Amino acid sequence: MPAVLVVFATAIWPLIEAARLSFTVGRLNRPGSLDQYLGWENYTWAFFEEPAFWNSVWVTGVYTLLTVGLTTICALGLALLLAPGGRLRSSAQTLLILPFAMSPALIGVSFRFMFNPEFGLFDAFFGVMIPPLADVSWLADPNLAFAVVVMADVWGWIPFLTLVLIGGLASVPRDTIEAAQVDGASGWRVFKDVTLPQLAPVLAVVIILKSIFSLKTFDQVFMLTNGGPGTATQTLSHYIYFNGMKYGQIGYSASVAWLMVIPMIFLTYAYAKFVFRKA
Amino acid sequence: MTGRQKKQLWHALHTALILIAMFVMLVPSLWIFLAAFKSHVDVYQLKLFFTPTLENFGVVFDDPYRLGEKLYNSTIVAFVTVLFAIPIATLAAYSFSRFSLRGETLMLVTILATQFVPAVVIILPFFVMFRDIGLLDTRVGLILVNLAIVMPFAIWMIKGFIDGIPMDTEEAAMVDGSSRLQVIRNIVLPMASPGLLTSAIFCFIIAWNEFLFALILTNKEAVTLPIGLALFKGEEGDLWNLLSAAGIIIMAPMFVLALMIRKYFVQGMTMGAVR
Repeated sequence: MPAVLVVFATAIWPLIEAARLSFTVGRLNRPGSLDQYLGWENYTWAFFEEPAFWNSVWVTGVYTLLTVGLTTICALGLALLLAPGGRLRSSAQTLLILPFAMSPALIGVSFRFMFNPEFGLFDAFFGVMIPPLADVSWLADPNLAFAVVVMADVWGWIPFLTLVLIGGLASVPRDTIEAAQVDGASGWRVFKDVTLPQLAPVLAVVIILKSIFSLKTFDQVFMLTNGGPGTATQTLSHYIYFNGMKYGQIGYSASVAWLMVIPMIFLTYAYAKFVFRKA
Repeated sequence: MTGRQKKQLWHALHTALILIAMFVMLVPSLWIFLAAFKSHVDVYQLKLFFTPTLENFGVVFDDPYRLGEKLYNSTIVAFVTVLFAIPIATLAAYSFSRFSLRGETLMLVTILATQFVPAVVIILPFFVMFRDIGLLDTRVGLILVNLAIVMPFAIWMIKGFIDGIPMDTEEAAMVDGSSRLQVIRNIVLPMASPGLLTSAIFCFIIAWNEFLFALILTNKEAVTLPIGLALFKGEEGDLWNLLSAAGIIIMAPMFVLALMIRKYFVQGMTMGAVR
């Protein structure tokens, strides 16, 4: 089983090593400090002395809630719209693949381009729709910058979630829907009482997956706002990157990284349960 | 309003919504596409019509940006990663699919779980190790960490494809005296080849678009295309026409690859997901 060994060496070992590092002084510029045992100090530092840590926990939390919610709702709407098939709809489905092949870093770049206050396309668009927003420096205002980061993420993930949900919708038996329609149920009632319950397992998988990805968002944030203005859009991944790579505090960032692994374990467990129940 | 009119209205509304959605999904890539062919002056205006120029692509490959080197790095890294990942993953996937191993579920879940570990967590030890053994800023180093992302994904995906191949032919061949390896080579591989190709393309796209590892592990020699984007942040702000040209070079091959495998797209993505 060479493959299992490779997986082990490339994924499990770093986890254990990161755990070890999280208990050391671990400064890149100080030789030997990577083996200098420190105890729980990195963790207590994060919890009690670092408002920036809590800030990024907050940012990541709000970000995850918003992106998961918005992406799921938009994708569900789009999936319902596209599911019936036909020429226009299937070419729309093909188009959906394209944004997904775009690297997240590039999505970040393109959104920065679009929201440029002087010549950005979105800026011009919103300026016409909602005049007070004309020529606003989107990325300079903490709340607006956060909104743009959320938008970029939602935009990037809608295609994938939509395609998955279309797959899910295809497995909802048509005759149940038709039976309900014959009985005179309105479109909304059919959706709420027939389609939605049948779709629930797929929706659950989609929500769990998206939560995992939202929690560890890095690429778009780095290219779009680099955590700024200030720390308004600093997600946990970005916070870890900054402390570890820019300030050289490997030990400290390893401990924050491990704090991040904990919610992942729960989500992965939930995901595995769903996947294996289906199999 | 009669029922018929109502129906027509609904139909028109749906079509309009679909068109709007398609438009929204396309605009950012389209805008980049346009900007890549705009001259330095045109890019700062919201013009839809302009005299297209290929100049940006020339500048991007010249000094000081030298995107060619990054393109070369990206290609080598993604290609070699796939070259190693697919054969190893195929063997593993075959074993998972055909033998019942002790602790199989646990192993599969663990492999899946590694997929979900945030990249920032595992990059820290890799950085320290690579620094100590001199693999920082090398293509070999990048290939190693890319294998870490791609392998679990490939194992899960290929296992899905092999599970779908009926076992009868294999058993018949075994009865006729073929060895396990012969069976794999003569029966399983040909039948699984569309699946293997799909997995390979997936892995290629993932490795190609990988950002965080390349950002941390490279700085000059082994820089890949996505990191190369940062080059175009000039003193006086971003050079958008050049950024867009570079963006096209990154996007275009992936679009083509993604379209090639669009049938298997969803299936692949739900099984192993990108880190």
